[in-house]
Amino acid sequence: MFRYIVKRLIEIIPIIFVVSLLIFFFIHLVPGDPVRLAAGKEATLEEIERVRQELGLDKPLLTQYVNYMQNLLTGNLGHSLKTGLPISDMFENRFSVTMTLTFMSLGWALVLGLLIGTISAVFRNKWPDYVGMLTAISGISLPGFWLGLILIQVFSVTLGWFPTGGVESWKSYVLPSLTLGAGIMSMLARFTRSSLLETLKEDFIRTGRAKGLKESVVVRKHALKNSMIPVVTIAGLQFGFLLGGSVVVETVFSIPGMGRLLIDSIAFRDYPVVQAVILLFSLEFILVNLLVDILYKALNPKIRYDS
Amino acid sequence: MKKASFLRTASVLLFSVALLFGCSSGGGSGSNSGTPAASNGGTTTGAPQKDQMVIAVNENFITMDPQNTGDALSSGVQSAMFEGLLIYDKDLKLMPGLSTEYSVNEDATAYTFKLRQNVKFHDGTPFNAEAVKINFDRMSNKDNNLRAYRNYKYIKSTEVVDEHTVKVTLNQPFSAMINKFTTGIISPAALEKYGKDITKNPVGTGPYKFVEWVQGDHLTVELNPDHWNKGAAKVGKIVYKPVPENGSRVAMLKTGEADVIYPLPEQQVETLNGAEGVKVERTPSTITRYVSINMLKKPFDDPRVRQAINHAVDKDAFIKVVKSGYGAQLESVMSPTIAHYAKQGAYEYNIEKAKQLLKEAGYENGFTTDIWGNTNSDTMKGMQFIQQQLQKVGITVEVKSMEEATLSDEIYGIKSPEEAKMNMWYVSWSSADPDNAMRSLFSSENFPPAGANTAFYKNALVDQSIKEATQSSDQDKQKQLYGVVQENVFKDAPWIFLAVDEILYGKRANVNGVYITPSGGIYVREAAFQ
Repeated sequence: MFRYIVKRLIEIIPIIFVVSLLIFFFIHLVPGDPVRLAAGKEATLEEIERVRQELGLDKPLLTQYVNYMQNLLTGNLGHSLKTGLPISDMFENRFSVTMTLTFMSLGWALVLGLLIGTISAVFRNKWPDYVGMLTAISGISLPGFWLGLILIQVFSVTLGWFPTGGVESWKSYVLPSLTLGAGIMSMLARFTRSSLLETLKEDFIRTGRAKGLKESVVVRKHALKNSMIPVVTIAGLQFGFLLGGSVVVETVFSIPGMGRLLIDSIAFRDYPVVQAVILLFSLEFILVNLLVDILYKALNPKIRYDS
Repeated sequence: MKKASFLRTASVLLFSVALLFGCSSGGGSGSNSGTPAASNGGTTTGAPQKDQMVIAVNENFITMDPQNTGDALSSGVQSAMFEGLLIYDKDLKLMPGLSTEYSVNEDATAYTFKLRQNVKFHDGTPFNAEAVKINFDRMSNKDNNLRAYRNYKYIKSTEVVDEHTVKVTLNQPFSAMINKFTTGIISPAALEKYGKDITKNPVGTGPYKFVEWVQGDHLTVELNPDHWNKGAAKVGKIVYKPVPENGSRVAMLKTGEADVIYPLPEQQVETLNGAEGVKVERTPSTITRYVSINMLKKPFDDPRVRQAINHAVDKDAFIKVVKSGYGAQLESVMSPTIAHYAKQGAYEYNIEKAKQLLKEAGYENGFTTDIWGNTNSDTMKGMQFIQQQLQKVGITVEVKSMEEATLSDEIYGIKSPEEAKMNMWYVSWSSADPDNAMRSLFSSENFPPAGANTAFYKNALVDQSIKEATQSSDQDKQKQLYGVVQENVFKDAPWIFLAVDEILYGKRANVNGVYITPSGGIYVREAAFQ
């Protein structure tokens, strides 16, 4: 197991290298001139050229890439073109905020998704199943920004239970994480339901029931665990969706996180910041999926990684 | 079968979430432990001594260096902390700031300022003629690459006459210079101490002192007890918060989490009318909304075609439909809030006349063209309105919306004017003085890529008048010259003249002395709670 993890961690290096290469050239391919945007509508050509030199954007693209990689290898993410601040400073608060938001959303999604999926499967084609699946369909179909605004209207403006946004306390995270988790919660609910229904048809379940085990024990102890493998896979893969969704949710709830930083930076063609954010997101995604693979083992001892 | 291993795994996962959450809650102020995070005003409403005002705005602030700022929002926040030799009041009139009086010579090349005495910067550094010289030298030095260089490049020298007198000599007459003396003055000691980091550590002389700036979350300032105009501003702390989503900003005002919100989108005004404890404020703005027409391209090189288009668009309907009724017709090339404004009237809405003009120009059956704009939903609405109006006179318009940076590249990233692909551009412009409103947009030396004259308007008389007005310090002469410019440009119709925007902002009923200026600045020099 340990060897497996080390091997996987080493594999990350070339992946990150390729990702960084792709991000760099893609963002530079997109039309739009950060210098023009930074200098403003009334800038003279002379001014624009001065700023271009100052930011090092007048050099050939390959030279820029080499510089960027050299900095990256020494752990230097560079400076923002827009604010001139070191990117590490800009990440300082934002990273933990977005991590909190995404993991809380994943937490909600897992707890609620498993619960709804299990109830739906157990009460298949009865009213709890219909209610559960209606909830799941809604969670997938409702756009995040709309759901967010509705939650603000109901729970902040009308009831006054939670703040409308910001990151003042744990209360600030409740509505945004529900909004962000809704889509995945629904996915997980549907997968849990179908996976559990499959498992409940298996021979060993019939054996359990024949032995006179209580239905609740059958479901909890035998069926659920065996149904978890596809569900965990989905949870890992969907994590990328969470990072993407954080962009919208952070905007609606004015949360100063990485998602909003990404949007602002893309609009401004702030190359170094866009590169750094996407790189970090990719790294997160890779690590979460590594975690999922390790979880498999916990769920199913038959899976061996050492061979 | 192992018991409960699933449960264990799940609980480990949940525990790690909780741990992570525990580590980072209060993340908003993680970097400065010891300073309490700004708490939402919402919890303190109803408390007898409310001493913190929250102002929610729509974008992030970029920099706190007033001499290197290009966006109205950063300037708006800076105006609490910094003062120039002159200050704009809430109606954009110039008033004495760090100087008490000034004199100008005949040809507007030498300005002498008497400085205000006994003023200190927030870090205790005394404000004097030497401080002004250090600031002006910083801005007029090309190598510093500051945005203010654009205006301060005209300065040949700044001399310290005595402790409280400063003389500024220009290398050429520049009538708009007086407006540029509103740029904030920074503490020389702070410039020395922070170097490049001055963008994060603002130290000025203003009514409010800098407390903290948490990137992307908030910026806090507190009352400066030693301000020279002590007592005008009364609120102890002001927190500026970027809240990009319109709906969220409005919700914050309703719950009392924000005391002032700006901008307030036109379509959201309805939701606030009648809301308890909330007021909607309106101010005429310096923002003009128009469609720039590329005069180098056929058929727009014919003035009759451009006039026809102006007659074909119903401006009243435009304001009603696109601006929800907030705004006024644009009856010159700039907003009435700007000095030397000369009203020109309007191209009356007259479809027959438009068709007649098109017929005279040889386009009886109309033609096909396109209009560009950004992806903002209001812009889309505006472009579709133009499309529908011009259809009535046989002109087929294709609407092309582009993301802002791409659009800017298409418009300004050209090598020569002939290369421009743009036919019509739905856009707005905000200016603080007539020079910026007219020279930037109508002087032929400012064709893209060199400047913002995107209609490629060229008129010898206008060029000459702008130049003379720039070089004269005589207000009456300026008025006459800028009058000539406005009259000619309006007649030549390089734009579809649409509207002057209104600035809309919301505030709680107990907020006094906070205004949004016509140029979108945030004026807090008299901030108080009732």
